Amino acid sequence: MRLDEYIEGLEPDEEAERRRLAKEKSYAITDHLEGFERRFERALSGDTLVGSTAPSIFVGRSNYPDIPVGLLSPVGDETAADEYVTSGTWYQEHYAIEDVLQRRTGLLNSSKRTNVDAPSIASRLAPSVDDVWDGFVGVGREVAIADRPVDVEIGLAGKPDLGLDPGTDVATPRGPRAAARRADLTENPHVPRPVQKTLADDDWQAQGAMTYLYRRGFDVYEINAILSAGALGESSQRRLVPTRWSITAVDDTVGQYLRGRIRNAPSIDEVRVFENEYVGNRYWIVLAPGTWEYELVEMKAPGSIWNPDPSGEVWMASASEGYEGRSSYVEETAGAYYAARLGVLEYLESIGRQAKCLVLREVSDDYWAPVGVWQIRESVRNAFDGDYGEAETFHGAVAAVSSQLPVSHACLRRKSELAAGVQSNLSAFGLE
Amino acid sequence: MFKAIVSAETLSSALDSVSVLVDECKIHLEEDGFTIRAVDPANVGMVDLSLDAAAFESYEADGGLIGVDLSRLEDIAGMAESGGLVQLELDEETRKLHIQIDGLEYTLALIDPDSIRQEPDIPDLDLPASVVLEGKDINRSVKAADMVSDHIALGVDEGEEFFYVDAEGDTDDVHLELTTTELIDLQLGPAHSLFSLDYLKDMNKAIPAAAEVTLELGEEFPIKIHYGFAEGQGQVTYMLAPRIQSD
Repeated sequence: MRLDEYIEGLEPDEEAERRRLAKEKSYAITDHLEGFERRFERALSGDTLVGSTAPSIFVGRSNYPDIPVGLLSPVGDETAADEYVTSGTWYQEHYAIEDVLQRRTGLLNSSKRTNVDAPSIASRLAPSVDDVWDGFVGVGREVAIADRPVDVEIGLAGKPDLGLDPGTDVATPRGPRAAARRADLTENPHVPRPVQKTLADDDWQAQGAMTYLYRRGFDVYEINAILSAGALGESSQRRLVPTRWSITAVDDTVGQYLRGRIRNAPSIDEVRVFENEYVGNRYWIVLAPGTWEYELVEMKAPGSIWNPDPSGEVWMASASEGYEGRSSYVEETAGAYYAARLGVLEYLESIGRQAKCLVLREVSDDYWAPVGVWQIRESVRNAFDGDYGEAETFHGAVAAVSSQLPVSHACLRRKSELAAGVQSNLSAFGLE
Repeated sequence: MFKAIVSAETLSSALDSVSVLVDECKIHLEEDGFTIRAVDPANVGMVDLSLDAAAFESYEADGGLIGVDLSRLEDIAGMAESGGLVQLELDEETRKLHIQIDGLEYTLALIDPDSIRQEPDIPDLDLPASVVLEGKDINRSVKAADMVSDHIALGVDEGEEFFYVDAEGDTDDVHLELTTTELIDLQLGPAHSLFSLDYLKDMNKAIPAAAEVTLELGEEFPIKIHYGFAEGQGQVTYMLAPRIQSD
């Protein structure tokens, strides 16, 4: 019996609705969880998970600043621990939604609640996690800065909760969770040299340190883990950062760096349209001559995970920025905005050009479980590997693309700042 | 040589109209008043300002050029009480600006004018339509449009003889028509252009509600906005590039 069946206007709980959808679409996941349960029983010695290895951590955001910090470990599949870490490799290997969910649900999140900047009594005097290398949080930080999975032993406070929780679009869907009491390293983690450098420099601002790592070849996934663990930035400012926030922070910071790199670059000289499709998401990227301007427009089909009502309308969201970036918070599209922007800026920087850029994302009802914002980042990054179409004008390109969209051209023009009009500059009118 | 006394209000009005576009600017200290011309980093908006010597309580200058950090100078001018005076004097030796307000002395370090972006030449545009209206009508239009959208269309209906403001959002629309009876003046001509509200909102902040404002418009062409302040002894012209709808 559900209340909403009796009370008009009461919406069913959204999370529950998504869970139902996810379950309906794939019984494989439930099977997978049962398999996990068996492996878990085997790995447990008393209440301690022995011989475990943790490739990464997950910092939650509930009840901030007292947040759960979790060690993620693939129970029973330790030798393949690397494959459980979200990265561009997942895209390269064409992971389908099921593959992603199997990785996620095969990863036990053993978490302990802690304060973001004062996990111990001593650190309350000068709130910062800078010196915290002991205890559960210390072990988590070691795991986060290491460049390969770290062997650990985790003391659990109870049996794991296996409930499938698809999480949200930005955060990652989580698998089984357990409360942890303690954790110990059973090996010395390997920390790459540039990370040691950002770790040791205690008055290097976080943004500069993140950019440094990016320039030294670290991808945003790795930088994200390091930021999350409070292992860079000015020492007094170092704190644990919820994974969801740190993903956006890294995409934004690296994006700003790249935007600066193309600020004085010449413009591309033709209109190009790129396309890509991955896990039920379709992308069109229209690049046009001019100074930097960017917009992401999302269209989510009825019945897709973020728009569960199958008889509803296409749900639209958009956010944009001009030459100098945004000064206000992105109210719509959230983390997807920065993830897609990063992909576009990487391409423009690689060709040494600037452009006006409209990214259109269509989420079809094949996207039945959110796999995480990496999917957007990688789809946009890789869209530029393919061929592109050319068009005479920006609006001509948008009109052509809109014939393939689930919304009308008129509707797109209302929602999209760029489709409505592209910012010209005074030099086009004789300013010297 | 530069030495002047000016009301804090006049100084602030002048600085505010420039700081909506740039953080730093060059001030030309001409014999008959000062002038500022600046274009924003994106080359989308520009401002051309002059403040006549007559707007000052006293004014002496011989054609110098200084570079200033606008927000600093605005903050200092903000220290004066309502109706207060600001005394400015340039120290040629140290290249600093000495500012006195009611016994408060402030020495402002100047910026090397060569390090500030080259000033633009104003494009000579032939804009067919012109609309003269009160500052408060611009404020009303911009405010209403901002409720539904990030851009605003301004145009003239030649047949029905009115000036209009249009804003289209996801779901809601704003439309305003001002006829010759509501306007101070209207010169008919083909005009319809779309503009970013980000810029127009900022410019609007600098326009006094009671000012008589002239808009010059064309079809997918920049808009020119002229208004006076300090009892007509200060003049501002903004130019803003349109958002292109057609190609």
